[in-house]
Amino acid sequence: MSEPVHEFTLKPLDWHPYVTPVDLETATEAQRDALKITPSNTKVSDYVLVLAQEPETLKERSPLFNDIMYSKEGLSRAGREMGALAASFVNKCIYCATVHANRHIQLEKRPEVIYAIYEKGLEADLPEYDQALFNFGVDLTAHPDNVGVYQFYHLREAGLDDLEILDLIHAIAIFGWANRLMHTLGEPHIKE
Amino acid sequence: MVDVIDKALGEDADIIALRNRRETLKAKTQASYEAALTPKDPGNFSYAMRAALAARMCAHWKAGELEAHYRDLLKSYGETAFDAIPDPAFRARDSDPKVDAILNRVDTVTLSPKEATRDDVEKLYAVGLDDRDIVTLASLTAFVNYQILVVAGLKMLRDH
Repeated sequence: MSEPVHEFTLKPLDWHPYVTPVDLETATEAQRDALKITPSNTKVSDYVLVLAQEPETLKERSPLFNDIMYSKEGLSRAGREMGALAASFVNKCIYCATVHANRHIQLEKRPEVIYAIYEKGLEADLPEYDQALFNFGVDLTAHPDNVGVYQFYHLREAGLDDLEILDLIHAIAIFGWANRLMHTLGEPHIKE
Repeated sequence: MVDVIDKALGEDADIIALRNRRETLKAKTQASYEAALTPKDPGNFSYAMRAALAARMCAHWKAGELEAHYRDLLKSYGETAFDAIPDPAFRARDSDPKVDAILNRVDTVTLSPKEATRDDVEKLYAVGLDDRDIVTLASLTAFVNYQILVVAGLKMLRDH
């Protein structure tokens, strides 16, 4: 049996639930229906099978997640991954962070930006544009009751328009959601 | 049905126009709200209990407009059993260990999800929650916190 991982890593991870996933053999009609659309559409993961315990929310969440992360125009896909990563660092969702850090590396081919975050965490010193996205993700996640003029002007200063800011808000917020499932209902292990 | 986030932002015309540029996202956010607060099959968490817990999460983050929405929703069910729950200071340590465990879990997952551990889940099983209950509670908490973050970000846009 592998050991749970407690520190941020870029190595591939598995996720082990603390609760019992739905058994496909005995799934209800509502659960089967909700499982048709998953963010990956490949093999149904334990994570999705855990969420299928609450099928009505899962059914809406999967297309919402896909639209937030992959819709056309607005903020770049990598920019959305940066929002996801910032949220996951604040919430210490090691699994989410790994997945979205690696996606950012694939999309942007600037691994040094991600390495800087893995080295310094929330204090990472980044190129100006990345810093603006990352800092807003940290602030909105850690203090949703305290974002205002300071954060807004930094985003504008970095050149973001209204639609890009809207996309960034949602990328951060959907990880406020994802982290609260993934980190609280299970834990990561190094992939075997 | 009224879009809860547009309502929380005071039906601001510019914000509505901006949100409408992401039509799927907006519709699925509202559909997620309905699925989390008023699912067809509520299981062991009644609509009133869900609204009361949501109001508590909003109160934790001082999301006043959303808190008011959830307090009104709670009131609309005409049940008074959960009236104390929205107050973040309320605990049920001596009166109801099950409710107390639920409140502890909601508070941790809302305010500092990074502190959540396997132990917390074991405590929920110990007071009689089953697998589905535990996922229901996490899903509700996760959705409402998403909504709080979206409203906080949009307020920043609206006011500057």
